[in-house]
Amino acid sequence: MKESMMDILCCPMDKADLELEVDHEDEDEIVSGTLTCTECGEAYPIEEGVPNMLPPDMRDDVPA
Amino acid sequence: MADDLAERRGVETEVYQPAEDSHLLAEAALADGVSGTVVEVGTGSGYVAERIAAATEASVVATDLNPHACEQARERSEHGVQVVRADLVEPFRDGRLDAVVFNPPYLPADEAAARNDWMEVALTGGEDGRAVIDPFLDDVGRVLAPDGAVYLLVSSLTGVDAVVDRAAANGFSAVALRDESFPFETLTVLKLLR
Repeated sequence: MKESMMDILCCPMDKADLELEVDHEDEDEIVSGTLTCTECGEAYPIEEGVPNMLPPDMRDDVPA
Repeated sequence: MADDLAERRGVETEVYQPAEDSHLLAEAALADGVSGTVVEVGTGSGYVAERIAAATEASVVATDLNPHACEQARERSEHGVQVVRADLVEPFRDGRLDAVVFNPPYLPADEAAARNDWMEVALTGGEDGRAVIDPFLDDVGRVLAPDGAVYLLVSSLTGVDAVVDRAAANGFSAVALRDESFPFETLTVLKLLR
């Protein structure tokens, strides 16, 4: 994801701001890192450029 | 509808591939001049998001619940589509999006053809076909900018009137941009505005 995405993303649960921690950056993209909610403290992982913004109870694959 | 969903829509079982509905939605949104910050919800293969990114200056974000879809959408992206794994528009801030585009799972569920895989999640919308559309309509107004618009694909199988009524209850007026008839359904692209 590009850092500009921070302008439109929020915590899916309480809609509060997120704090970005970058682990690995490529030219213009954040490849891995963590987005942490400044309100509830929930951490959302960024893996292979894709932030996983599902609430924790939905992160496991949905179909059985 | 005893025939298997996978047979009707091809053999892919993990990620919904572009079909008539995807083309219709992309063309309607492009013809209407979609621009600004655009989110495609439930992008599947990433086709519609990529079409919009390729043809416009819009900043396009594609979301899906399905991790396999997120992967395909990212691979497909050649024009800067960014991918987020998300449930509907939940992780987007209030009032920031100029357009939200959605080809939802809309087929009424059929127990005889239940598959319990990602393709079923991509296709079926509960008993009445609106189990995903309804919560989407209830939340999408929150994330739209004041002049923002929703481009929503609906099918006659889902009940266009029921979708329009639910949108109206959330303060939207609906315009049908495109209609296309197929042997077992008519597809309509609705534009929702406040």
